Amino acid sequence: MSETGAPRVNRRDFIRLSGASLSGLLLHPSGRALAAGEGELAILYDASRCIGCRACERACKEFNGLPAVEEPNTALSPTSWNLIAAREGVSHGQQPYFNYQCMHCTDAACVMACPSGALAIDERGFVSFDKNKCIGCGYCSQFCPFGIPQLGEVNLLTGQAVASKCTFCQDKFFAADSGVPCADAGGGGPSCAEACPTGALIWGDRRTLVARAKGRVSELKDGDHKDAMLYGEHEAGGLHRLSILLDEPSAYGLPEDPGGQFFLARIYRKIIQPAGFAIFGVALAGVTAAYGLARRNIHMEEVE
Amino acid sequence: MSVRLRDTDSVIHIRWIPRYTVLERFMHWVHTASFLPLALTGLVLFSPLLQCGAGCVAMRNLRILHRIAAVFFGATPIIYALVQPRRMLMHVREFFNFCRYDIDWLKAAVPYYLLGRHGAMPPQPRFNTGERMNAIVMIVGAAVFGISGLGMWFGKGVIPANLYLALLMVHDLAFIVTFAMFMVHFYLAVIHPMMWQSLVSMRFGYVSESYAREHHARWYYGRERAIQLWEQQKAEGGH
Repeated sequence: MSETGAPRVNRRDFIRLSGASLSGLLLHPSGRALAAGEGELAILYDASRCIGCRACERACKEFNGLPAVEEPNTALSPTSWNLIAAREGVSHGQQPYFNYQCMHCTDAACVMACPSGALAIDERGFVSFDKNKCIGCGYCSQFCPFGIPQLGEVNLLTGQAVASKCTFCQDKFFAADSGVPCADAGGGGPSCAEACPTGALIWGDRRTLVARAKGRVSELKDGDHKDAMLYGEHEAGGLHRLSILLDEPSAYGLPEDPGGQFFLARIYRKIIQPAGFAIFGVALAGVTAAYGLARRNIHMEEVE
Repeated sequence: MSVRLRDTDSVIHIRWIPRYTVLERFMHWVHTASFLPLALTGLVLFSPLLQCGAGCVAMRNLRILHRIAAVFFGATPIIYALVQPRRMLMHVREFFNFCRYDIDWLKAAVPYYLLGRHGAMPPQPRFNTGERMNAIVMIVGAAVFGISGLGMWFGKGVIPANLYLALLMVHDLAFIVTFAMFMVHFYLAVIHPMMWQSLVSMRFGYVSESYAREHHARWYYGRERAIQLWEQQKAEGGH
């Protein structure tokens, strides 16, 4: 739907919306009823300001106690939650960098798919991760539209594959919640944003950042970057890692519509799995009823 | 005319007819013994009621149990096919052989199994319609479980994510279908008061002559004779 004025709905969206409202009627709503809103935090990444210095990568590893890797790092992994990569062909090679980390979706497919509650949506908007609850199924890595949660080495015998990802430096916020100052906090927000020397990564109130990003995008459009756009305001219910892109999303390997995976995860968790569980109950009730009927009506002496 | 009672007249003679071989029975029970732990360890993922809280380490270990049971579940039909390929082929042919009497059987099954009205049951071969349906669901189910399960087991992080998700959902749908079928099978074979001989035969391999005649006439009399008797019985209008 368009942001203002009359809603524009094409056929595909109409079918999707009808399906979504039908399942919404049938099923208990989960997650949050509202889209990304008041009081929520976000990180804003501005590709036009990024110089690819990788200070964010190092700050992330330092605060989260992740082992160092040989630089330049080339892929996200269970021990690399933050990655600067140069994309070929983006904005004519002038500003090729992009920062990859968890997008902290409002409609988070990983949270919907997680069977053990290890992944959850914090009231501040970010997607938290409790590694003690993780059972290593790896479903989050398969459902995530951005390919963010990375599996560790997959154990071929057990299928064990504990995933890990950026947590918005949740420990800082949880420490603040409990009143205990976080050791080595290096500022109260996500370490990557605290460390960025150019202001390419900043964090704060999501609404403020969205307004600020829109201003920056129109600035860029007036300048050399005609394709500049804000990514994440509405995608997947609203991301809590907003991005100012200088090219279309696909140039950065970002999906145009990341919300589809959430829909899929929802069907899986809210229809298929409850149906599987209900089969137990239905079968037990059916067997009991059938047995009762059979006992009442069948007289063995006649049958024999 | 007088009847002289002899000693043997007071003894009831039952003719026992072999129905399953030792290997068939063994394979059946190995399959059962692996299906149940597979269902239970898989179900843990399905309900928030069973979510782990503090017991996540235990849940991590359940996946090992699931895989061990899966090896037995998958190996059973393969071993049977290797050891007795001709007999297995014969079974598969029997399973997939349906005719119009199967429709009549399905129509008559509900009043028969629930209300004990057994007169309308058409003659059946060695496996009745329900047993054949169960076998087909289990054969197709095992193939689907096997393909999707192996794909997820060895393909995690290797195959495309969307293919993995498709396998995941197919695996779960296969569970819903096979478990529903399993419950019907379990009820009729183990709980239902009239079917105890079926369970006994899967344990000891034999059914009584009267049971074979009543429940599997096409096996007992042969197809033509059984159908002839059945049509005759229908024509007489009496059950």
